[in-house]
Amino acid sequence: MKQRCIKIARSSFFCASVLIISALVLCVGLVKTVRAEEIVCIPCHSGLPEKFSAPVKLWQKSIHAENGIACNACHGGDPKDAANAMSPARGFLGVPKPADIPAFCGRCHVGVLKNFLASAHGRALGKGGPTCVTCHGNHRVLKVTLDLINEKTCSQCHTFERARKIRDAMAQTEARIVAIDNRISEFKKTGTDTEIVEKQLFSLRNGLHSLSHVLEETKLTAASTQIDADLTKIESSLNDLTSIHKIRKIAGVIVVSAMLMTALLLHLMRKTY
Amino acid sequence: MTLINRLIDWIDVRIGIREITRKELTGYLLPRNINSWYSLGSVLLVIFAIQVVSGILLLIYYVPDSGKAFKSVTDIMNVVPFGWLIRLCHAVGSNMMVLALLLHMLSVLFMGSYKSPRELNWMTGFILFVMVLGISLTGYLLPWSQLSFWATTVATNSANAIPVIGPSLVEFLRGGTLVGPPTLGRFFALHVGVIPAGIVILIAAHLFLLKRTGISTPPFGLNEANKPWQGESYRYEDHPGGIPFIPDYALEDLRSIFIYLACFLAVVFFDPSLFFPKEAFIPANAFITPAHIKPEWYFLANYQTLKIFPNEFIGLTVQGVAMTLLAVLPFIDRGRERHPLKRPLFMACSIGGILLWIGLTVWGHYS
Amino acid sequence: MEASRRTFLGTCLVAMAAVISAASAYPIWRYLAPRKINPADVKVGIPVKEVLEGEAKFFDYAGSPAVIVHKRGGGLEVFSAVCTHLGCIIQWEKEKQDFLCPCHGGRFSADGTVTGGPPPKPLNKLPFTVADGTITIG
Repeated sequence: MKQRCIKIARSSFFCASVLIISALVLCVGLVKTVRAEEIVCIPCHSGLPEKFSAPVKLWQKSIHAENGIACNACHGGDPKDAANAMSPARGFLGVPKPADIPAFCGRCHVGVLKNFLASAHGRALGKGGPTCVTCHGNHRVLKVTLDLINEKTCSQCHTFERARKIRDAMAQTEARIVAIDNRISEFKKTGTDTEIVEKQLFSLRNGLHSLSHVLEETKLTAASTQIDADLTKIESSLNDLTSIHKIRKIAGVIVVSAMLMTALLLHLMRKTY
Repeated sequence: MTLINRLIDWIDVRIGIREITRKELTGYLLPRNINSWYSLGSVLLVIFAIQVVSGILLLIYYVPDSGKAFKSVTDIMNVVPFGWLIRLCHAVGSNMMVLALLLHMLSVLFMGSYKSPRELNWMTGFILFVMVLGISLTGYLLPWSQLSFWATTVATNSANAIPVIGPSLVEFLRGGTLVGPPTLGRFFALHVGVIPAGIVILIAAHLFLLKRTGISTPPFGLNEANKPWQGESYRYEDHPGGIPFIPDYALEDLRSIFIYLACFLAVVFFDPSLFFPKEAFIPANAFITPAHIKPEWYFLANYQTLKIFPNEFIGLTVQGVAMTLLAVLPFIDRGRERHPLKRPLFMACSIGGILLWIGLTVWGHYS
Repeated sequence: MEASRRTFLGTCLVAMAAVISAASAYPIWRYLAPRKINPADVKVGIPVKEVLEGEAKFFDYAGSPAVIVHKRGGGLEVFSAVCTHLGCIIQWEKEKQDFLCPCHGGRFSADGTVTGGPPPKPLNKLPFTVADGTITIG
């Protein structure tokens, strides 16, 4: 009898271990995350002296990194072949000269480039005027806020007076855009489909920001009126969502109280037996 | 009334329905000192039923194709009337199922109900627990969000730590070198076909074992005159003079079920994003790894264990050993005593273990 | 006393059960109910040059088949392609310049009027406008 018990115990032990180990293999989370498209630039540059490794760290914090825009998107080259990664034959561009920077960035930011070149900033290109990186920085390019127009940056070249006017012309509309953006991301966290309003807002925000590069507050004020009207439309669709969510909360109060009520009735019923 | 009585009579004379009611329901006696913890099993049955029903409803609109899955889930949440409710019930319900299962296991642990002759009840329960973790893990991939994609990448990657066969096992689990459309296909099949069928079979076995051994007497309060089972031959543990299942304990079961439903629906209506980080609503992108991807709360302890060991294989082995010890607990802890306060060594170990688990979970959450 | 309390609680519970079943059946019924498309909200645009003279083009309009005819000698007509007899989908007969329903041989002219067979009514006309080389239906 005892032997049989041991035998059963042993075989169940075996079965359980097999099952558990295979389950663990399935279930356990692990630290190492895998980048699906590992580019060769990063491991190599990370190990180089400060001058060559700093861009990697800066880029990792940028909006470009967040959106999956890696080294080769701007600098060209072959990110999959370490030996020829920096070969001009593979389209490697390297570091642009200061005067070439607007054209370098403008390959993607087309609208901004056009407005920039037409502006006082653009006309002073190559004659001591600013380029994109003067205000936006280079590898650590962040999502823009109005704080980018500030006394410290602008007074590198001129007084803050005019820049302040431009900032003031944008301030109200920009604040609304930021507020709507926050509301949208709150909705997004609840699984609401915000794709359409997100795109609408992105386009409006992009319009305003790209226009700001013209450096003329009258144009900005005029455009703001149109943008404000479109923002009101977005806001009203968000208000509709808010009221739907409110109705769901009210329904929730009723449903949860009904459950508690039933539990109470069952409890009282139980006490009668 | 007479019509109903006549109908019951008609059925009764054919299949003896009154006899079976007497024997299995009104005459099914439970220990007098039974407590509310014993109703967690019924709560779990209800949770599983809700998961099955909401899961079938989701299947109507869900498309298991990597190009369409995310969109179909977004539509369920936004376009289909009450789709949000069904989807949230299913997603929140899966978390609640793990939570209720943990509580059920803890009550069995502290009341010593796993002890001889109930080793098989414990082991089937343990396998059910592992299956529920498996169904949660496979279900996690299906919405094809950034969270799904990267949590699955990380989870399947852990099999790499197994010597020799590790890398090919990872590839087999994923159906390719990386998580991709083939992974969705196999996880979908596991989630809606294989594992639910396994769970149903195991639930049947678990209930069958419960029926054959009889309900265990809680170790608190009155001492039943029963002399303990010696292992000599099969014996059904009956409870003469106990309380009937219907109506007494069924009402207690229902009360627990409705308290559970109140908690569950409170989460569904008032904090639906409790179990959803923001990556859950961004479509999967194989080229962008989100910054802080974490497994679900019930895997955080495992996740942290793997991180604290210098070698992944050691981390995996430690977990394997811990899980195995838990699975075969009734064969290790063979004492007859079931009252928790009279088992100081057991209490110290289990409370230590629970604190360790909670500690690792919190650490994993904040690391 | 005990018995009357029990009856009262039992009645309350039965009522509660009825309410809860109805409240859970309603979302499921709505979830499963086919979604209604309001035809007034649907607009379909088709370039004029896609419909050659003497030919017909079939397309989907608000979930049911529709057809545009470019009649010989000019003039456009847009119909629902559902036969008014038993709901089969009509076919365009180019040689005869009319519609034939394959189910029971119903015939309609290019203007939608019944020219033969069992259909009780002419084809349903759909409203359309032509502007900038595009036919907008709806």
